[in-house]
Amino acid sequence: MSDTTRDRSIRIEAMRYHPDTDSAPHLQTYEVPFRDDMSVLQGLQYIKDHLDGSLTFRWSCRMAICGSCGMMINGVPQLACHSFLRDYMPGPVRVEALDHFPVVHDLVIDQTAFLNKLESVKPYLMPATERALSAGAYNQTPAQMDKYHAYSQCINCLLCYAACPQVALRPGFAGPAALALMHRYNADSRDQGWAARAEAANADDGVWGCTYVGECSEVCPQAVDPAHAINQNKANSALDFFGLRKLLSPREGAK
Amino acid sequence: MGRHQPVAKTYHPPRQVDWGKSVTRRRYMKRELTSVFLIAYALVLLFGLWRLSQGEAAFEAWRATLSHPLAIFGHGLIFVAALYHTRSWFEVMPRTLPDSAMNPASITRAGWTAAAIASLLVLTFVVVGGV
Repeated sequence: MSDTTRDRSIRIEAMRYHPDTDSAPHLQTYEVPFRDDMSVLQGLQYIKDHLDGSLTFRWSCRMAICGSCGMMINGVPQLACHSFLRDYMPGPVRVEALDHFPVVHDLVIDQTAFLNKLESVKPYLMPATERALSAGAYNQTPAQMDKYHAYSQCINCLLCYAACPQVALRPGFAGPAALALMHRYNADSRDQGWAARAEAANADDGVWGCTYVGECSEVCPQAVDPAHAINQNKANSALDFFGLRKLLSPREGAK
Repeated sequence: MGRHQPVAKTYHPPRQVDWGKSVTRRRYMKRELTSVFLIAYALVLLFGLWRLSQGEAAFEAWRATLSHPLAIFGHGLIFVAALYHTRSWFEVMPRTLPDSAMNPASITRAGWTAAAIASLLVLTFVVVGGV
């Protein structure tokens, strides 16, 4: 039964911030007619198309895989395309820029700090020796793939950063997504780069910046479980501190 | 500090955390708060050890203090807090261990089993020792 008429409406309170004219963000209210199958993102698109073309937000795929439309929806970090207006009836539904990030314009946040953190964990395969193209593809058993597959599902939507209190309190903290991706490569049988990543992992702003609140894993739309990635690496970091990591590691470190 | 530099003028929200905002955060705060009771109990025991070093009279005086209703109430409070802390810690323990064939529920059960065995051993020691 597809209802094509917009027979209901909901009040959307959108955070507005214009860098040239505002010193702080404020909320602006819109009355948005909607159908049962409309996401919060579609509500915002309705505003932009019909009510106020100046409302600024990021979006792309509309199907929870690009990670662009992360925002605070009634105080919870979520993908706007992955939450439905009908679930917020009778409203209002408050949409704000992701917590813990500088705001560029309305719902758009500045990802610069995250990009630097992501690079600091060297999120790419680092084999111990160069492998010639003629050697063909790497082979992996399903068990080897299982070790990292869940952690490779991250879409960099940054919901976990908005959820994590430590990200708010320690601006330098590498954060859930970056540390989960570090684990993703450390856990990959093709990779021998853990020694090169150890400095970032062992730092106060590395795995030890996490106090295990666990909210990152609650909000992750991809079930990456960053809390698991980070907290199992506290043991690795401790072993590294006592010089035992090298002894126990079955693989040699890349430079 | 990384090769990426901010290019736009931005609004920086105040750095503050609402620890009561979500179920997860409240659960975390309760887990951390109850650990303070464990430290309190460790201090009570350490104090007893210190009194023991001062001789039998001092040690017996410390034991007498412990039988005060207020001390018994405090111990009850610590016991409840310790139980809560144990439960909340065993609940999150699976994610502190490497990915393994063991499922999270069994890890939590293993924690409870270890705690039960340890408690039983201490209880046996106290009963048999006749302390």
